[in-house]
Amino acid sequence: MAHDALLRVEGLTVDFQTSRGLARAVDDVSFSIKRGETLALAGETGCGKSVTARSILRLVPQPPGIYSAGSIYFQGIEESEPLDVLEASEQQVRALRGDRIAMVFQDPSKALNPALTIGRQLGEVFAEHREASVFESAGLGSRSRGASRYLRHRGGLVRRTAYRFTHPSATKRLTEALDERVLQALADTGVPNPRKVMTSYPHELSGGMKQRVMIAQALACDPDLLIADEPTTALDVTIQARILDLLSELQERKGTAILYITHDLSLVRQIADRLAVMYAGRIAEIGDCRDLLSAPLHPYTQGLMNAIPRAETKRGELAAIPGTVPVLIDAPRQCHFVSRCAWAGKACTTHIPGESHPLPDRLVSCLRFESAAAVGAAPGDMPQQYASAEVTT
Amino acid sequence: MTISDDVHVPGAVASRRSLITLRDVAVHYPVKEGVLQRVTSHVKAVDGVSLTIPRGSTVGLVGESGCGKTTLGKVIAGLESPTSGDLWFDLDPSDAEDVDRLRGRDPKSMSGEDREAWQRLQGQHRLGSMSREFQRRYRRNCQVVFQDAFSSLNPRQLVRDIVGRPLRVYNEASGENLNQQVLELLERVGLGPQHLLRYPHQFSGGQRQRISIARALALNPEFIILDEPTSALDVSVQAQILNLLVSLQHEFELTYLFITHDLGVVEHMSDEIAVMYLGRLVEQGPTREVFDNPFHPYTEVLRDSNPSLTGDSVADGHRRLTGSVPNPIDPPTGCRLHPRCPVAVSTCGWRVDDVLEQLEVSSPASFEGIEAVVRSSEFSALIRLTDDDASRAMAEEVTDLRGTLGNVEIDVRREGKELRVNLPEVDDITLEVIEPGRMSACVHAQSGNWWNN
Repeated sequence: MAHDALLRVEGLTVDFQTSRGLARAVDDVSFSIKRGETLALAGETGCGKSVTARSILRLVPQPPGIYSAGSIYFQGIEESEPLDVLEASEQQVRALRGDRIAMVFQDPSKALNPALTIGRQLGEVFAEHREASVFESAGLGSRSRGASRYLRHRGGLVRRTAYRFTHPSATKRLTEALDERVLQALADTGVPNPRKVMTSYPHELSGGMKQRVMIAQALACDPDLLIADEPTTALDVTIQARILDLLSELQERKGTAILYITHDLSLVRQIADRLAVMYAGRIAEIGDCRDLLSAPLHPYTQGLMNAIPRAETKRGELAAIPGTVPVLIDAPRQCHFVSRCAWAGKACTTHIPGESHPLPDRLVSCLRFESAAAVGAAPGDMPQQYASAEVTT
Repeated sequence: MTISDDVHVPGAVASRRSLITLRDVAVHYPVKEGVLQRVTSHVKAVDGVSLTIPRGSTVGLVGESGCGKTTLGKVIAGLESPTSGDLWFDLDPSDAEDVDRLRGRDPKSMSGEDREAWQRLQGQHRLGSMSREFQRRYRRNCQVVFQDAFSSLNPRQLVRDIVGRPLRVYNEASGENLNQQVLELLERVGLGPQHLLRYPHQFSGGQRQRISIARALALNPEFIILDEPTSALDVSVQAQILNLLVSLQHEFELTYLFITHDLGVVEHMSDEIAVMYLGRLVEQGPTREVFDNPFHPYTEVLRDSNPSLTGDSVADGHRRLTGSVPNPIDPPTGCRLHPRCPVAVSTCGWRVDDVLEQLEVSSPASFEGIEAVVRSSEFSALIRLTDDDASRAMAEEVTDLRGTLGNVEIDVRREGKELRVNLPEVDDITLEVIEPGRMSACVHAQSGNWWNN
């Protein structure tokens, strides 16, 4: 299993320096994503799901962020050896970003540059990662530094303008080759009238359209992995449904693996093959999406599922999880869910639960699935053992 | 009056006393342009909404962002005055009948008895014309809980002052008595004496929303407008707040208007729902029935787009809306959904602009060739092109568009390089009663030809 994993996150731990001490946002998180599969990473605000996603591209600013432990192995198709993103050089990570691993952010109006046209922003991706093939389709065999600077909008206005006047046909062909690719990328994501969209600025587009542009930008280089960080949270449900349709259609066509970050468990069923639930920086449960949603085992996942309002639940009797998420600054060594858990025993306040596999293809980190001997606690302190008969929902 | 299970029985709702009655309420915001800031057009945020909120029930108002649901909430709260239409408070069934019978008529032409009744209704029940004393009563009885609990709580005031403010304003309590009452309110929403002397920033999102609710409850109101009270909260906290709202409703016999875009929440919380699209209500009825058998394609699309935990909700086979929400400055004629509707037909109200929009998408090259469009009405226009060939080509293209425009009869006449395009004129399609208690503004439902067959 390990050899066909596209991405392996092992024991990732991310701390943040705060004025009150170190806050552990991500604590010993491990999971893997296979080629072409969709893993949903679900959890509530502040559970560390976005930090985990950003760590994969090493986008967490340091300081205040600190990668305290763990590694993230990415195995691209071309590379023979998996690359540890956290250890790689800045150059290697830059080559990865937007090319092999792309990201779609939550708020498209913040993620797009308001001062550049859509065509220019999308063109940047190709100029950065696909320069050689743009030159090829423009019919320019050898690429000169001037042409390269022109394509990448580098080197200052004077030099670029000078190049344009001295090489009029080359610049024209380059621009055409680049536009061609941008148009194709936009048309792939179902943007109507791509030629018009290309010349517009972000503020001229609707939210759903902006998110389509973001997806076009992310998928421009056919990445192996797409990280979608709550891509539909800012959108209305009818638009959300169309964006989800688009993502699954593109995934089918291009075979991209998707890491889908969301706080909405009801959305997960539509898109994901596997589901990982996070709570307070740790993984609570990982498993096959449908199995997990029909029979959640971790007390937190169970609580989360029951808290979703539906028509069948009698009004006023939603099973809310009592209490609030604990503060993670200098948190004690214990299960973070203990204060809100109906099953909690004494051992839960002194031990961090390890990984247990109560079902094939299911990982749960809860002491209810571990034996007292393995944990090293007195049997009386353990929470009530899980009985397979009690499958909720 | 108590809240019992009969709330769910359709028809029972209509006979009860109505707390809030809206009739043709419209809110138009002027758009000003140029150096002189002349009013060039109006944004029709709310455009002719009639709605009745029965006492003791929860009415859910759903719709996507920008459809005017928050504006409507503001009108009901008295924070925004409507451009036209009226809002009535606390009408018993016979009064409500009088209102519908008498409104729009000239008081001079009424019989003496009617005129007296009308003056009494105006003076006591109509927001905007009611006397000071009644106005005061209305303000006390109608409270609002906003979406963003952080920006709706004064960051420089203590919780005691925030929650005690309404009591102080209405001279209900002061001094030690005030503290006591505030404490009782806080305890009722699940907070304690330790929270009395804290600032809003010291609370989590869920706790802040509890403070907002405590403030709304301070004057013991009959009616609370909940404007997306849980959309900024996590699911587990949302469940706590929803449970709290339900238990408060039982305890204080409250009436709720629940404004939200989350269909799961509204399905769980409300007795009746009203679905809004682009400033208009498109469907209204008892929640269960509307969800089981929607009478408007927009409701159906909303329901099917809403992700669900159960059932095979992999999106295949569900209808989707095309395009994006039209500009509320110039909303579509007829049914406002028709340019995006998956089941639109020829009677939905197609106009010249729809033809032009389609033309721009299907044949952008010839669209560029248009020199001028002279509209004589929404449904009739003269399109001027560069030459005869262009107009000949476009005449064909326009006729070919029929399929995408619900097979509407497009009358295209070519006069040299000009094209005259005529479409059948259609009146605005408004909410009509389809079944007792169920209303819809869809031509399919109104004519009895269902789109599902």
